Formats: sequence, C-alpha cells, structure tokens
Amino acid sequence: MPQRRRTLINIIVGSWIVLSAAGDLALDLLPFPPGAATDIAGSETQLIRILALMAWPIFLAVVGALVFTLYVNRVAPAAAEPDAQSLRGNSRAQTAWIASSTTIVLGLAILGTITLVNDTTIPTVAHAEPAAPFEIQVIAQQWYFTYRYPSLGGFESDHLMIPADREIEFHVTSLDVTHSFWFFAAGVKADAVPLHDNSVDMQPQKIGTYRIECSELCGIWHGSMSDDHAQIVSAADFNTWAQQQQQLDAPVMKFLPPYSHTYVPAPGAYGS
Amino acid sequence: MRLRVAFLGLGVVIAGVGIALFLTQFLIKTPPAVTASATSNSTNGLPVVNVTLTTVAAAGTGPHPNWVAYLNDSGDPSTYINAPANSVIHMTINQQDTPTGLRNEYFGLVRGTIDGSMKVNGKTMQAIDPTTAAHTFTIPDLGVSVPLLGVSADQKGNPPQNVVEFDFKVPGPGLYRWQCFVPCGAGTLYGNGGPMQTLGYMAGELVVS
Repeated sequence: MPQRRRTLINIIVGSWIVLSAAGDLALDLLPFPPGAATDIAGSETQLIRILALMAWPIFLAVVGALVFTLYVNRVAPAAAEPDAQSLRGNSRAQTAWIASSTTIVLGLAILGTITLVNDTTIPTVAHAEPAAPFEIQVIAQQWYFTYRYPSLGGFESDHLMIPADREIEFHVTSLDVTHSFWFFAAGVKADAVPLHDNSVDMQPQKIGTYRIECSELCGIWHGSMSDDHAQIVSAADFNTWAQQQQQLDAPVMKFLPPYSHTYVPAPGAYGS
Repeated sequence: MRLRVAFLGLGVVIAGVGIALFLTQFLIKTPPAVTASATSNSTNGLPVVNVTLTTVAAAGTGPHPNWVAYLNDSGDPSTYINAPANSVIHMTINQQDTPTGLRNEYFGLVRGTIDGSMKVNGKTMQAIDPTTAAHTFTIPDLGVSVPLLGVSADQKGNPPQNVVEFDFKVPGPGLYRWQCFVPCGAGTLYGNGGPMQTLGYMAGELVVS
C-alpha cells in the first residue's frame, strides 16, 4: 500500500474516532423525546438515545469511506481515460462489513424487542399486596376526548388528570369513528375504536402539564382534536381536583350510563 | 374552418372562465359573520357583549336549505362569531329544533359559563336530560359547553322555541373553533357528516381580536 494512501487512511480513521467520540458526548447531552414523564416514555427515550449514539459513528464511517473512495479514485481532468481495471473482491472487507452489519441489526432488534416487551408488560410492584392499577377511561368522539374515572363514582372530565403515585391503566374507546389517543410525552398511543376496549398501562414519573392529541384522521376538526391541559399531579392535588370535579359533575351524574369499557349509543343518537 | 376554430376557442375561454369563477367562489366564499354588539354592562370588570343565534332544523336558504343550522339575525346560516378580546359574551340562542339526543351524555352538563349554569326560558339550569338535547354550543379550547334543550312536540309558540342564555369569558386574541356535539347531521355517517362538518352550519369559529 503506498505510503500516501496509508497516511490518508490513518487520518480518516483518526478523525472518525475523534469525531465519533465528540459527537456521541454531545448527543448524550441532548433531551431526546418523548422524555421521562412515565416509565414507557423513559424506556423509549433510552432506546432512541442508544440508536442515536450508534447511528452517529456509522454515519461518519459511511461519509469517511465515501471521501476516501472519491479521493483515491479521482482522475485528473486532463488524464487519459484509463482502461477498465480488473476488480477482485476483498474477502476481509466483505467479512468485516457483513459481520458488523449483522451485529448492529441484530443488536438493535434485540434492544427494540426488550423495550417493546417491557412497555407492554404490567410491572410488578414490590409490595406484599400490589395496588391495583388506577383505571382511567378515554372516550373519543368527533372531535374531543373526555375521561371517566370508574373508581371514583364514574364521573367524567374534559381534561385528563393523573395521580403521580399510581400505576395507570387507560381504557380507550370511541363513540363514533376510529380515533387514536396519543399521549406523546407519556409514550402512550392507543387506537380508539368504537365498540372496542383498548387498554395500556403506564407508571407516571414526572409531574407536569402535557399535550393530548388524536393521531388518526377523523374528520374536519381532526387537527383541533387536542388538549394542552393534561396533567400529572401529586396525589393530594389529584384528590382535591377529583372532589371539585365530582361536585361540578353532580347535576349530570344521574344521566351518565353505567361505567362500561365500551358504549353503544342509542339509535336515536345517530341522527338518521 | 376559421369560424369553427373561433367558436371552439370562444367555448374554451368561456368554460375556463366559468371554472375559474366556480373555484374562486368555492375557495373564498365564507358564511356571513356575526359580530358581537357592545353593551354598557360589565361582569367581573370585563365588558359584556351580546351575541344572538338561532338554531333550526332546516336552514331554508343557502346551498343546503335542508340542513340543520345556526342562523344569524338575518336568518342566514352563520357560525363565524367576531368578539373583542378580554370580554364576556352574553349569548342568546333561540333554539327551535327538536331533540336528537347526545351520543355522550356528559355533554348534557353546562360547563365553562360564568356561573356554571344557563337560563332556559328564564329558568336557571345546570344540566339537561341528554335525550332532550337538540344541539350543543361547545368551544373545547375554552372549556365552554352548553346543551340546548330541544323543542317538545306540544310546545307552544310561533315558532315554538327555547331561549337559552349564558355568559362566558373570552380570553385574548385568537381563533377558537366551536361545534355542536349532538350528532344531528341526519342521513350522514354517525350523524356527524354534512352540517356537522361544514362551517356555517353546526361548526364554527369564534374570532377574538
């Protein structure tokens, strides 16, 4: 190998190591979405962070190989057109490429599968008698989400309020067309399908105000089917809010249907 | 031959102008707006403005005379409301439609109004039986939702109507969409098509400036 080419390879490899390390250090400082509002969000954020940290060196390696190839194989404009060269495979390079690609892809698949399985498994609580998940029903209708709290008398609310100290079990359904309940910061996204109950669990971890939106095209106001007032609050604040909401709902409580995971609207309510 | 080409050219031009006019009308045409009228009253230090609408089973005019609609003072379908920022809207809705019923009974509750109630024909109410609702006036972003009591079969009056009054605060400048939550678009999928998805009928915008 000519000395010049060896020097170039050393420069590129050295630059790759330095830039990869510096880039990964900088990337690790970034606040990756969706955040740490819940256990699901936290594991998704960690997975995205790992993906980013792996992707940066790979991206640099591809760019470095491209630069190296372009530089080494360049032809001066005035040079005569060279005869076609006989190219032979480089078994070491091919083996390294196949092995590294396989390792990366399988590694990502395993990481993704572990995250997915963890996110869809109800965590066990290290108590003698684990507290039952706190159930909140998400009711979608064109074009708004409302929420029912079956363990608190079944009252309903315009806004999602979540106690921070409980594991939450969402039950998502729809009264008309298919919607999708997307609680982005919590890493929760569940389709709201009429006459179906779609459940998802999460453990709140960060008090704050969050956004809810519909992620299934559902009609003219789909783009407005959102709420910026969803909150994860302390147990005390939640209890205070629940008492106030129960008082506000008192006039309509006798008209609400018994709590159910799905609802069949009365035929007269179909407008036809 | 020349005459034929001339006629053909003329026809193409006329058709082009017609299509352009149709598209222009389709794109820029908006229902008339309802502008809140000022009063000398104030609530909690905020000026009170009046808005009056009428709900009917059939608009009787416009491109969809058979559609259920909110009407302005002139009897035209209209759901664009202009109101000043940081004010209180005193809304009066002359509800002349019969009940359809709510899909979600929770919308039978009055919420987001100044005192959490409304007046129906002068009587204060905080909720209605969801099966008796003809429409709702709901602004999701402001948390305002008022069910509108349907006219009963034996109700007197010419036309028979329920006068629904309520007050709600208007925040700073912005555009707030509002809609009816009674699936009253008869003959459409789940009753939520047609007028329910058309600005000027059962969906509208509150423009605060």
